[in-house]
Amino acid sequence: MITCDLCGKNAVYHDTRISNGVTKTVNLCEEHARKAGVDIGPHGISISLDPEMLGFGLSPTIQSCPDCGMTLAIYKENSLLGCPECYVTFEKQLLPVIASLQEKHTQHVGRSPRSANAAIDRHIAIRRLLSDLERAVTQEAYEEAAHIRDTLRELHKNEGNDAV
Amino acid sequence: MTRSENFTKMKVTMQFDPNKNCPYASGTTAFGDVVLSSRARLARNLEGFPFVNSASTGDCEEVEALLSPACHDGDEVSLEWVDLHTLSDIERTMCAERHLISTNFASAKHPRGVMVGPELARSVMINEEDHLRIQSIVPGLNLVKAHGDVKAIDHRMEDLVAYAFDDRLGFLTACPTNVGTGARFSVMMHLPALRITKSFRQLQNACEGMSIAIRGYHGEGSKTIADLYQLSNQITLGFNEDDLRKMLENEFLPTVIESEREARMTIVQQFASKLDDRVFRAQGILQTARLLPLDEAMDCLGRIRLGVCLERITDIDINTINQLFIEVQRGHLEWRFGNDLTETKLQEFRANLVKEKFAS
Repeated sequence: MITCDLCGKNAVYHDTRISNGVTKTVNLCEEHARKAGVDIGPHGISISLDPEMLGFGLSPTIQSCPDCGMTLAIYKENSLLGCPECYVTFEKQLLPVIASLQEKHTQHVGRSPRSANAAIDRHIAIRRLLSDLERAVTQEAYEEAAHIRDTLRELHKNEGNDAV
Repeated sequence: MTRSENFTKMKVTMQFDPNKNCPYASGTTAFGDVVLSSRARLARNLEGFPFVNSASTGDCEEVEALLSPACHDGDEVSLEWVDLHTLSDIERTMCAERHLISTNFASAKHPRGVMVGPELARSVMINEEDHLRIQSIVPGLNLVKAHGDVKAIDHRMEDLVAYAFDDRLGFLTACPTNVGTGARFSVMMHLPALRITKSFRQLQNACEGMSIAIRGYHGEGSKTIADLYQLSNQITLGFNEDDLRKMLENEFLPTVIESEREARMTIVQQFASKLDDRVFRAQGILQTARLLPLDEAMDCLGRIRLGVCLERITDIDINTINQLFIEVQRGHLEWRFGNDLTETKLQEFRANLVKEKFAS
């Protein structure tokens, strides 16, 4: 008997993905499959959703990370994501969680890796300045806003030069 | 041949010496009466690899192999590789008791290692919850130094690997609570007077208002022991590392330290006899007990530490107490007196060790 990855009960949903040569299989019981948003049919009939093996365009109704096979149900169990790609796959669901954990912040303003393209640093700086500009305008600190606007113009000018 | 096969793991003999490398040797530092140690930690992951909880054994070994060249001697970032599988249970426990590694990491089974710096102040856990957990612990209140240490190691690692990074969310971590800077700054504080004067609720409220987490001696989920607490930044996103550090060290901690000191003065002025009773009763227990359970030892040490700070006891050095907080732990006792000790024997050795330290 194949058992549910989350509770050990009899699994009725099975999902096998092969990505970069690595096979990831998810097995869920009826309860956890429903929680994960899987349509398992009116009578609890087991449906195997494996688009790669079926090969006739049936799209899965459960969302899982294409790189590591992580599902939201599994994430909810231990609060750990499976790989960097999970942040892209579950962006819509994760952003509210991150905002809640990080006191409404959803924008990184710290340094970036040295190996990263310098454009990322500039991009982050521009986003931060735009946020500062909005705050300065709201507070009617127009002199500060003018300084921020000049810095932004300078950054955009440099961007143009780099592109050339 | 894979990179893993090229990678020869070394066994480094851990030079545990509480007299030389106690992370709590705060005695001579400016705020050493309240702050035992400061810690900075960066969480990082490698691009192109699953996070550790989803990684295969091969992935973990590959990560180890990619990072191992960071270990070499003789420069600013001097690190040695320690393969945890080659350490004894006691040595792994000692590492955890010194906060060099986490308790879960000590007992895990997957391929993992720790890089350690001189004096066991800096360490890098490889394949903990994240591929890298870079940390530095320094005595007293000095987050600037600890931060400088971890940044230097971070730069060393960046020369070797590409980090998982997103221009919106920053450094990507297995748990979204660490995403962004991946930076956690914490201090180990001794706050007995705030508790005794029933001001602790105010501190907890202030922590909530400033997004500061307050935890027990062993971190998340641990119980309070000896009035020792870890205070750390709760959020990691939306501020840069320097701002997160300054918010804790410059904006929040001075008030906490001042409040604790004021509360200590209040106790001296208004409850001197009660204070002396608590302090000298604890000293009596530690000087006469034949068997000493860990919780009782820690509690008594905490009370004596307060007495030393307030000069009610003048013949015990504060660093002796600070060291004993670590030396009375099980792993350190077994390392000193032999493994597989029964609980009774352990308590006996603990009692003897404390008496011996106080006598000297």
